[in-house]
Amino acid sequence: MKKELKVIGQPIPKQDANIRASGKAIYGHDIVLPGMLYGAILRTEHPSAIIESIDVSEALKLPGVVCVITADDVDVNNIGYKRDHPILKKGEACCTRDELAAVAAETKAIARQALKLIKVKYKVRKGVYDAFEALEDSAPQINQFITGKFENKNIAEKFQYGHGNLEEEKKRSRHIISRRFTLPRMTHACMATSNITASYNNLDKKLLLYSSTQVPFLYQRDMAHALKINPSDIRVIQPVIGGGFGSKLDMHPFEPICALLSMKTGRPVQIIYSREEEFIASPIRQPMIIDLTAGVDKDGHFTFREINIIKDNGAYTSWGATTPFVIMQSFSSLYKVKACSFNAMAVYTNNVFAGSFRGYGNPQATFALERVIDLLADELGMDKAGIRLLNANEKGEITGQGLHYDTCGHKECLETVIEKSNYFNHKTSGKNDRYKRGIGLASMLHVGGGAKIYRSDGCGTTLKIDPYGYCTIITGSNEIGQGSETVLAMMAAEELGIELKKIKVINTDTDVKPWDVGVHASRTSFVAGNSLLGAIRLLKEKLNSKAAQLLNIKDADFEYADNKLISGKSGERIALDKVVREMHFSEPNELAIASFFYEPSSKFQDKEFKGNVSGTYAFAAQSIEVEVDTYTGNVQVLDIYVAQDVGKVLNPLLLGGQIEGGIMQGVGYALSEELLMHEGRILNPNFHNYKMLTASDTPEIHFYPVETHDKEGPYGAKGVGEAPLIPTAAAIANAVCNALGLEMLELPITPEKVLKALDDKKKRKK
Amino acid sequence: MNFEIISPTTTDELLVAIEKCQNRHFRFGAGCTDLLMELKKNPADDLTVINLAQVVDDRLTNLTKTSKLYRLGSMFTAGRIVVNDELKTHFPVLHESAHNLASTQIRQVATVGGNLCTASPSGDIACALVALGARCEMLNTNGKSRSVAVTDFFTGPRKTVLKSNEVLYGISVPLNNKETAKIYSRFIKIGTRRSMECSVVSLACHIQTDAKGVILAAGVAIGASAPTIRLAKDACSSLIGKTFKKITRKEKEEFAATVLSYASPITDIRATAWYRKEVLFNISKSIFE
Repeated sequence: MKKELKVIGQPIPKQDANIRASGKAIYGHDIVLPGMLYGAILRTEHPSAIIESIDVSEALKLPGVVCVITADDVDVNNIGYKRDHPILKKGEACCTRDELAAVAAETKAIARQALKLIKVKYKVRKGVYDAFEALEDSAPQINQFITGKFENKNIAEKFQYGHGNLEEEKKRSRHIISRRFTLPRMTHACMATSNITASYNNLDKKLLLYSSTQVPFLYQRDMAHALKINPSDIRVIQPVIGGGFGSKLDMHPFEPICALLSMKTGRPVQIIYSREEEFIASPIRQPMIIDLTAGVDKDGHFTFREINIIKDNGAYTSWGATTPFVIMQSFSSLYKVKACSFNAMAVYTNNVFAGSFRGYGNPQATFALERVIDLLADELGMDKAGIRLLNANEKGEITGQGLHYDTCGHKECLETVIEKSNYFNHKTSGKNDRYKRGIGLASMLHVGGGAKIYRSDGCGTTLKIDPYGYCTIITGSNEIGQGSETVLAMMAAEELGIELKKIKVINTDTDVKPWDVGVHASRTSFVAGNSLLGAIRLLKEKLNSKAAQLLNIKDADFEYADNKLISGKSGERIALDKVVREMHFSEPNELAIASFFYEPSSKFQDKEFKGNVSGTYAFAAQSIEVEVDTYTGNVQVLDIYVAQDVGKVLNPLLLGGQIEGGIMQGVGYALSEELLMHEGRILNPNFHNYKMLTASDTPEIHFYPVETHDKEGPYGAKGVGEAPLIPTAAAIANAVCNALGLEMLELPITPEKVLKALDDKKKRKK
Repeated sequence: MNFEIISPTTTDELLVAIEKCQNRHFRFGAGCTDLLMELKKNPADDLTVINLAQVVDDRLTNLTKTSKLYRLGSMFTAGRIVVNDELKTHFPVLHESAHNLASTQIRQVATVGGNLCTASPSGDIACALVALGARCEMLNTNGKSRSVAVTDFFTGPRKTVLKSNEVLYGISVPLNNKETAKIYSRFIKIGTRRSMECSVVSLACHIQTDAKGVILAAGVAIGASAPTIRLAKDACSSLIGKTFKKITRKEKEEFAATVLSYASPITDIRATAWYRKEVLFNISKSIFE
């Protein structure tokens, strides 16, 4: 019989909600260390220029300036996924973010003042701001540190994938649709701007970093490589993190720069971005051009997909260049499709470089794919819900790419939103001719049990129970606002039968916690949860045997409830704290402590990118209703119906937060958010003109969790973090096209683009 | 950002402070919602800010009514306009312009005077006041006052007729006609999001009709469409004598074309001139729909 869950599944508030809401949370911005200096970074004035000289002499003379560094003053390695990114730039500037010099001073104001005194001689050159232009023979080589692995000097990374017989499937297709989709630059816009405090002890040569990285152990390794020091001499402490969303997956130049300033001065140094700097110098969602050709047979079955993607890599290569890992999954494996041919390349330009962003390429892929599905349905004269249900993924399916769908809620998600949104009977007109209503469907596939992109996708946990019956979970995983601390504490409360207030989660210090790959790929609840459950199992073995000895019974099968161990057979009970004390203080004088490392069953993909890359897969569908004002082009999102295969709801309150937050990022991606650039410069580095939506723009969100109880997941749960954002823009675009009877091939769908499309349609009619 | 602050507590002290600053670079700080952003962008080392927030003077901060007009002190906040039922009843356009401004938090400090003195072509309350035929009352350091129509207050983007020895003291809004039986009064703000938005285009209209629906008076102003907020005078006068509900499609379009003739919008990162014109034409028509 299944054990009844007491804590898991309950709407328990985030355990750190109190400190966050009351202002007591200590963010990186709040840290002040004795003798601390303030760092500031001088960035290039021109996105593409020869740097003839940098003169820091006047800056050094300014009272209060302690240290000024340029590339000439440091012995470091390049950083970045391809190690093509110098921390401080020498000889040339290749994008508007380029760091030329850095200052450490007694106050922030002096540091800023000193930047103005640094004289840089530039020889401005013509930049390359278009990826297609960068691929032309006449284009200059933009990044000087690449290995020349590819046929073109400006290709940073390439991905090729295929399954099935493409040509045969093309022949078999009744209809074929080809479209080019253009995706914008979107930025994370975290509430807390980027920050770091570095403290180097030049006596023992150890470096302490207060950093808001999402991946502390990879960061420790990257930092050590950059600074040419031993990784274990670096201790990373994460203060409360004010937003990640993928932006803190890469290590960025300001971080080793801050460490270098501390190493040079022997004093702690802090660097905090201004909001403008955050917009200019933090990573973005990859802009890309997707050429998609897809076919359908006479019955509506998908036959093939052929994809060519050009990603604007910017001047340096970040993790963002690897998003085709995820993009190809959606094209190869979302809905059943017989054949797929996928090509993607990241091309260097003098634009700002991209990074990782919630969804990791998937919102882009899903937009293109789900738009084309609507067009295929139109060609066939088939309804758009029907074609999706016909091709939906199923439990037990092994896709062309080798993903194993041991559980799969795809169809149920689609059916749920189709029914709940009254899809077939929605209103088509607004209150008068001016307003047009439309409804759009989209679904998504994403990894739901981590993603094996590093040698290990595992997570370690050390669990201890103290002599007072309190539990401490030392987990490798990180809290970046997503609620992992709360979910882990809930699991321990469930399993150990103790109250949440008796559970502490320690997760911020690389010197203390065991290894974990970091927060990405919607993996934390799944991987860290399984790791914790493994540690609990081990610890229970010890506790059970001691309890049986103390009760003088043979049976060591105990239930844990009300701070007690209760014998399954006799019903005899003993207090948990007593068992722990007896373990500690009498024979066998042992600690109530256990460690466990969980490695998901997922596999590395082979050279052809085939293989079961995640422990499980998440599915979702959204049905979105919009009203378009044909006078202004404004799109009002009325209702969003979302069904998501979450495996099992661990905490409905936190899950709801992920859903709503993700969807609003998706609505912004669909309608308003774009970092505008002209010739390598960002035109809207502020919230005034970067149109992030507000609470008053939030539509009604109707959420229906679908529970498929994955055997791999903790309590059957799957990862949930990225999914809510992924199909939103696609569904909104489909709804707008449905309302107006025209095509939108570009995001965001701004009022001006809508009005222009309507105007073009009118002109075509004439 | 580093500046000196003078915080007078009476109007007399305020006038003395202005007098004292005549040879200095000074700015008024009312709600400071625009000023802080501007100073962050262009920090000035030698700046003095005369802080109006501490001045205790009903004429500066409150709303009064006479037989002919409502008078808002220039420090009357957008938030107080929003919650004032009388203003909402008589001048919906003013209520809506305030209600659509920024966010609830910002509206509690943002002032009518600030919205006018910033002289932004996209000022919302300012646009409504132009449509309402309001007048600005300015007080100089000698204690003398003068007034101009709000429509004449602006001389260019960020420029007004306010002299260096003057402060905007109050704004008077004429009461609706005695014969007015119905008002069609709206503020139409176009932007991407519903709050924290700066108008991409705006249109304020305040149309009064008699019991039979015949238009007695009309004020139509456009924002973010020209270097200053403009009163579409000819469009207003073209409506007088017409019956609001019987305006034909042709008349609507002629009216919209006349409104549009007052626009000379620019292309910037928020919208192209083409978009601003298209939308202005459409929303002008929409007044009668």
